Amino acid sequence: MTSAQLEIQIIAALVAMACAIPGTFLVLRKMAMISDAISHSILPGLVLGFFITNDLNSPFLILLAAITGVVTVVLVEFIQKTGLVKEDTAIGLVFPALFSIGVILIAKNANDVHLDIDAVLLGELAFAPFDRLEVNAIDIGPKSLWVIGTILLTTISLLLLFFKELKLSTFDKGLATTLGFSPLLLHYGLMTVSSITVVGAFDAVGAILVVALIIAPAATAYLLTDSLKKMLLISCFLGVFSAISGYWMANFLDASIAGSMTTMLGIIFLIVYLFAPKRGVFSVIYKEKHQRIEVSLLVFLLHLQNHVEIEERHVDHLQKHINWGKVKSKTILDLAQKNNLIKLSGNIVNLTEKGTEFTEEALRYITTNKETAIEDLKAKFFLFRG
Amino acid sequence: MDLIDFFTNYTLRTITLGTAILGAICGMLGSFAVLRKQSLLGDAISHASLPGIALAFIITGVKDPNLILLGALISGLIGTFWIKGITKRTRLKSDTALGLILSLFFGLGILLLTFIQKMPNANQAGLDKYLFGQAATLVEQDVLIMASVTGVSLIVLLLFWKEFKLLLFDPDYTKTLGFNTRFLDILITFFIVLAIVLGLQTVGVILMSAMLLAPAAAARQWTNNLSTMIILASIFGALSGIFGTAISATQNNLSTGPVIVLIAASFVLISFAFSPSRGLIFREMRFRKNRKELHLKKTLTFMYRIAQNHDNISHPHAIRILNNFQGFTKKSLLKLENQELISLSGKQWALTKKGYEEAASINKKLGKSDD
Repeated sequence: MTSAQLEIQIIAALVAMACAIPGTFLVLRKMAMISDAISHSILPGLVLGFFITNDLNSPFLILLAAITGVVTVVLVEFIQKTGLVKEDTAIGLVFPALFSIGVILIAKNANDVHLDIDAVLLGELAFAPFDRLEVNAIDIGPKSLWVIGTILLTTISLLLLFFKELKLSTFDKGLATTLGFSPLLLHYGLMTVSSITVVGAFDAVGAILVVALIIAPAATAYLLTDSLKKMLLISCFLGVFSAISGYWMANFLDASIAGSMTTMLGIIFLIVYLFAPKRGVFSVIYKEKHQRIEVSLLVFLLHLQNHVEIEERHVDHLQKHINWGKVKSKTILDLAQKNNLIKLSGNIVNLTEKGTEFTEEALRYITTNKETAIEDLKAKFFLFRG
Repeated sequence: MDLIDFFTNYTLRTITLGTAILGAICGMLGSFAVLRKQSLLGDAISHASLPGIALAFIITGVKDPNLILLGALISGLIGTFWIKGITKRTRLKSDTALGLILSLFFGLGILLLTFIQKMPNANQAGLDKYLFGQAATLVEQDVLIMASVTGVSLIVLLLFWKEFKLLLFDPDYTKTLGFNTRFLDILITFFIVLAIVLGLQTVGVILMSAMLLAPAAAARQWTNNLSTMIILASIFGALSGIFGTAISATQNNLSTGPVIVLIAASFVLISFAFSPSRGLIFREMRFRKNRKELHLKKTLTFMYRIAQNHDNISHPHAIRILNNFQGFTKKSLLKLENQELISLSGKQWALTKKGYEEAASINKKLGKSDD
């Protein structure tokens, strides 16, 4: 591994972390698409800044572009407030217009500007190590490493300083306001940090993939945990992991680094989306199936409790009267027997003592709704779940 | 480029026709996207179609625009249904789902595109045009495809008109009436995806969403009627296409896509400002007018209270006594006189009979609590 390769990986990892932190809050605040809008609409700011400074890593340019990002947010909110269009339409209208202005600015000045559209879209991570920062003629590393490092440090210190305020205003805006924190200030603070991060990361991964780095790690982490701290840590870890593995994939395929970083994020998300414990698709489907069986079981037990007549309690009755298929009837009978809720004498079903007790409690739950959840009840009585 | 060329130049005519048709179909189907609160879906779909474009090229090895469009369509549909899956099955909200699919698919697309670039038989030049669109590459066949898709979607729209309309405004009611809402939903989504995919070659992946939204958002400001809105949106879309092509043809280095989007955006801006019923300017004017009228009415009721204490309602009073009341100005008094509600003579005012009745009815409306 050459030092250039190492530097690229460090930059990629720092970018991923810097994006994952604001991303976590954007996802939780249901404002993920704002990052998409910002990443597009900073283009005109970036181009204007480039005309003035001629340096993609200049702090002035980053500031100017970040201001454009915040202006976008303000503009979107203004349009939303007029009530002329629905919320998401406002986002969808603002950023393409600003992006178009940026593209036209670049195209009209193509001859004098070293800023092409591909760089804007894809980033130039591979070239990052060649743009060195020199202090007193001593090489102290790639410029973008310093830029993104500064941004990451600022983000982390802001996060530590305002962690409880951010947490509170994210989950309970009303309480935050009554306690005297200004949600508005935090909102625009978060927007400013996001804008600066997007601009800083832009150079490395390009306009659209920065959105992936912001949203995907946070969304994936959200499927894995309920704790904000853990979510922040997991999303940083996922970002760094996909940055480094993405780099090596790009190396192997000889393709875009940013593209393969995003693809790694996509693969991780797909795996978590399908297999996450509790919140993954498979476990949701599995849980739904169980719940369906357990509800049927409850219906069956209530039916037994209601009827003393032999013919109502005959096994065949399940198929004939309640209209359950053979397989379903058998599953439910088996489950009830395994849990000692019923006894079979011949083909007649009888509730056991435990079954009667459970049914009565369940009935009380259904009619009064006083118990917090029927799940507790099930946990108390069921040895085997559906 | 002269204006004459614009009508005689065959290539330019084809391109203009293409962008006009594209604008029209986008306006038509975009109206549904906007009203169904799926504005950003277009953005996600257009980005999600990129890997399809690249894969179609990798698999077939040829640059057949129709095959590439098919790839884009399939990948766009996969993206759309995955978005629906994410919002339905997990606790991630729709904005996160949209952003995820948009960026992840786009990243995969970029990976594949850069991979193609390095392929030995790389004849890939031209795939880049799907990023920003290149209206200049439109040929007659493309326009024909666009026209026929527009025709088909128009027919489907007319066939399912009342179902779509009902689904748009009251999905639950539609379901209880026994319509297959799932089918209708898929049908309309399919056509939206189709429109987006058609526009990729012209406007490009990144700006396509604006093409879908802007004409519809502009049209929405002028009417509350669905069919009028759709027609207006199609017209706005077509005009954006025509003007955009014309402007970008007159200048060097000006790609068509961004210009079309900017024209469409200015339609939105104009509609936001000048629409008579919803526009910001007229709304502000109505506010002001209402405020003034309220002031006049306040003055009139104040006068009424004074006049009430006299036998002769038209007994003149000095203007001076209105001083402790801030609602009146010389102008507002003149206005009241113009409406024949009061009569002025020198420094005196008097309520007319009409004015007295008017004020009495206002007072009545205000409620008896004041009396």
